[in-house]
Amino acid sequence: MGAISAIARTTLGEAIRRKVLLIIMLIGILFLSVIPAFSVLSAKSELTTMISAMFFVLRYTSALIAIVLTVYMLPNEIERRTIYTILSKPVQRWQFLLGKYLGAIFALGLMIGMMSFLMITMFYLFQHPEASKMFELARQALLYFVEMSLLTAVAMFFSTFVSPLVNFFISIGLWLVGTLLNPLYESISKNNEMAPVLKSIFSFVFSLLPNFANYDTKNPIINPGQAIQNETIYYLKITGYGFLYIGILLILGILIFDRREV
Amino acid sequence: MAAAIETRNLTKTYKSKLRGNVNVVDNLNLEVEEGEIFGFLGPNGAGKTTTIKMLLGIIYPTGGEGYVLGKEIGDMDVHKIISYLPERPYYYEHMTGLEILRFYGSLFGIKDESKFHALLDKVNLAADKSKTINQFSKGMQQRIGLAQSLLNDPKLLFLDEPTGGLDPIAHIEIRDLILQFRDEGRTVFISSHELSEVERICDRVAIINFGKIERQGKLDDLLRGGRNEIVADGLTREFADQVQADLKDSIVSFNAGRLIVDAPEDNNVNTIIDSVRSAKGSLVSVTPRRRRLEDLFIETVNKPKEESK
Repeated sequence: MGAISAIARTTLGEAIRRKVLLIIMLIGILFLSVIPAFSVLSAKSELTTMISAMFFVLRYTSALIAIVLTVYMLPNEIERRTIYTILSKPVQRWQFLLGKYLGAIFALGLMIGMMSFLMITMFYLFQHPEASKMFELARQALLYFVEMSLLTAVAMFFSTFVSPLVNFFISIGLWLVGTLLNPLYESISKNNEMAPVLKSIFSFVFSLLPNFANYDTKNPIINPGQAIQNETIYYLKITGYGFLYIGILLILGILIFDRREV
Repeated sequence: MAAAIETRNLTKTYKSKLRGNVNVVDNLNLEVEEGEIFGFLGPNGAGKTTTIKMLLGIIYPTGGEGYVLGKEIGDMDVHKIISYLPERPYYYEHMTGLEILRFYGSLFGIKDESKFHALLDKVNLAADKSKTINQFSKGMQQRIGLAQSLLNDPKLLFLDEPTGGLDPIAHIEIRDLILQFRDEGRTVFISSHELSEVERICDRVAIINFGKIERQGKLDDLLRGGRNEIVADGLTREFADQVQADLKDSIVSFNAGRLIVDAPEDNNVNTIIDSVRSAKGSLVSVTPRRRRLEDLFIETVNKPKEESK
């Protein structure tokens, strides 16, 4: 456990010093700061526009940070040969990979936390909402963190066997497809002209892909008409799904990395 | 003495699209005894780093077997008592010397601050403990590398080009530290191109070429049986040319009546002396010379690949 936490702490230390990540986060912060000023210009409800724009910025900035942070993590360790001094110590490869992953999500948590804090503060300053609304915003930010932890696991899995550039495009592609999975499911199930075999194949393929759409919960603030029946069960279910998927990806990544020549 | 490292037909094969299967390390049989400084030599691409990586369990052999301190390579228990300093090591640049030791120490579960300070002292970095790695010179980076490699009080150290790219002062400092390791009873396995350094500090060496061990043994044994230098005066150019024609393995030089013959030991010195005397020359000196490691190395690695097979 000592080795894993040491590697995680070092990864966190490296990540928060990476200029490219800080620049992405600062751009996110800048957008989050100016959104309240622009939302008053919207013809739609000011509140809805402000929240949806803030969530959009938070989600896309976080996804970019998660991918950029992760795709170079393992290749850099190999290229700089730091991995040799670490693996020559009593550190197993699974410990190394797990430490890197945990370090990455700590760094991601820190960055999402800072942006979320700013988002909630701005929301409070401009809207003076009830405490329950503030809680809903914080909960959505937390769900984005689970979503980005899953995206980090996806990028980490691919980093064990593909180059950073290829990994960047695969991870972005999977995330974009994953954010559209629910509408895709829906359109296939409603499509009566499609052959049942084809439907089954599509359903099977979609079920293998990570479903990122679940984490955009159609927050009641944005979509008042679309309420979740049992919130506790829903949030537990999607969090459990995320952790299970992360676990599977990490195990597969470890199996590949364990056999890889570094 | 027990073997600190032993390999039996250790092989690493890579698949190449152009050349098919390439044996980077080819049936390597290596034996390093405990408590010695062992030099592992070879030209670039000979298979030195690949061998070290296999011994450390970083890459996997495709054939043969290897043992480090009596256990199979890759055994995690062994990793607790060995250490490795890679060629041109890189450390996390945001860390200070002290933080580097804390980080690597934590991989062993070591949290003893006094140990970290003692190690910084040992490698003369106590005054620079607060500097970050990107403020370190090459020599300082190498010394912090050595300090991290001593954290677990290792029985066996793998040093890959420990003095590569260092200035003469840093060379001496690193050399002294390595000699100190032997005095402390540690085994040191050095891969290096610095042949004069290796000749000074190593007890035994192995020369690897095209993935195969070409020579292995005690340095004294390998360098014994060197050459003889015969110096004589009062001779003619024609005589010198005749000697060169008769002794093709020798290097003959002639200047202002002085003849210098650098002859392999197996050439009969008496025959040369007799011919000097019959040409009315006067013998100045006969000096036996131990071969230099550089000569042995060049002689070994200059063999064509087919011959070395």
